[in-house]
Amino acid sequence: MTAAQVASRGFRVTVRFEGEQALVGVRGELDILSAPTLGAFFEAVIASGFLSVVVDFAELDFADLAGLRVVASAASRVVASGGGLTIRSPSTMVAKILDATHLNQLFRLESPDQPRDRLGPEQSGRPAESVLRSEPRHADHGLRKVSSVPADNDVVDGALRLVVALARATVGGADGVSVSLRRHGRLVTVAASDQTISEMDANQYATGEGPCVDASVEGRWFHTASLDGEARWPKFTPRAKALGINAILSSPLLAEDRPVGALNIYSRNAATFTPQDQELAAVFATEASVILTNAGVDVSDDQLASRLAEALRTRQIIAQAEGVIMERERVSGECAYTALREFSQKSGQRLRERAQDVVASTQWPHGDPGPGEVLL
Amino acid sequence: MTELSSGVFDQFRREAQLSHGDLFMRYFELGGMSTALQLEAFVYGALEPSAHDREVIAHALNERFVELGGNHPVPYGLR
Repeated sequence: MTAAQVASRGFRVTVRFEGEQALVGVRGELDILSAPTLGAFFEAVIASGFLSVVVDFAELDFADLAGLRVVASAASRVVASGGGLTIRSPSTMVAKILDATHLNQLFRLESPDQPRDRLGPEQSGRPAESVLRSEPRHADHGLRKVSSVPADNDVVDGALRLVVALARATVGGADGVSVSLRRHGRLVTVAASDQTISEMDANQYATGEGPCVDASVEGRWFHTASLDGEARWPKFTPRAKALGINAILSSPLLAEDRPVGALNIYSRNAATFTPQDQELAAVFATEASVILTNAGVDVSDDQLASRLAEALRTRQIIAQAEGVIMERERVSGECAYTALREFSQKSGQRLRERAQDVVASTQWPHGDPGPGEVLL
Repeated sequence: MTELSSGVFDQFRREAQLSHGDLFMRYFELGGMSTALQLEAFVYGALEPSAHDREVIAHALNERFVELGGNHPVPYGLR
């Protein structure tokens, strides 16, 4: 048996090898800061040829999606090699996040005791008892629906509207959602579900305080269950109450591990956000952060990189072209996509360029082209 | 129909010199609907992507191979 440990700010990983099985114990908070440490341990375990891995979360205090990402990545590699990864004693939060992100198929979950309801900082309330439910939460259905909204010229804001709509549709108790991003050194609202919510954000920028501002600066999430008696933001709170808002949940958006904004969820009712809502908000905020990071957001000048804008533009053009083909050819969206892709493959023309041609064809002066002209 | 064995997408990804993040952006750009974590699991072969997801992943990789002078080495029509 071999053992290895590391201790840092309460986070600790212990690895034991028993026969052909590696037992990885994780203690403390598994988040974006501690995740690389755990990832290094997984690297060593997998490189040593262990295909049966048990990750014990019995002493885990907190895990966010950034932390679970390294576990999911390790599970992907182990499962693909014919092995398996078991999470022992998953907390309510861990099980919920795996469920909400459809990653639970990657793991075996093993709960020797009752499900644990240990929650992280800022969390409160009693989680639902049935978090290991099998019915997945179809967040991606929301994504599909939102992505069919007609294209807007402001593609960057369009992407963030997608996050807003997704969160509003999925997080229970949400009366309004917004996304704040730091641009040119100051926070601005780039997407909001309605005017009241925009005003809520604006009041926080004007007073320099509030959960949105704090989450954007400190990079952790802030929750106020009720603004009655809220003492942290004395200038902002009266303005919020005047607009009829009583509960706020702000989750940080990170790019390259640095806070660049916040996903803000507002409710007119006090004590409306459950721990499950908080977890889901964290999931969407983390997903948005992954996109921002992958897009190479330049945190030095706080502007979204052109890469993301370009990706969104392409995505919208392709969706428009699919719509044109679906209508003209009476085919499904997937058939329309395949038609675009096949043309791209045969001609060497990029899929985006083909999609642009299809969209442009709707403006041809001599009416609609024949099916072959659109599809081939 | 062609069937890819587990992890072949990852082999193509490495040959295409794309990080997981790079591939996700290309996949997202081409209309992919799954999350970055799901995509990583698809690429490793740990989760089964839908037929549409397979098509988008294959095309994202193939457009990269075309940039590198190749000609659509990743097969389509996968199941």
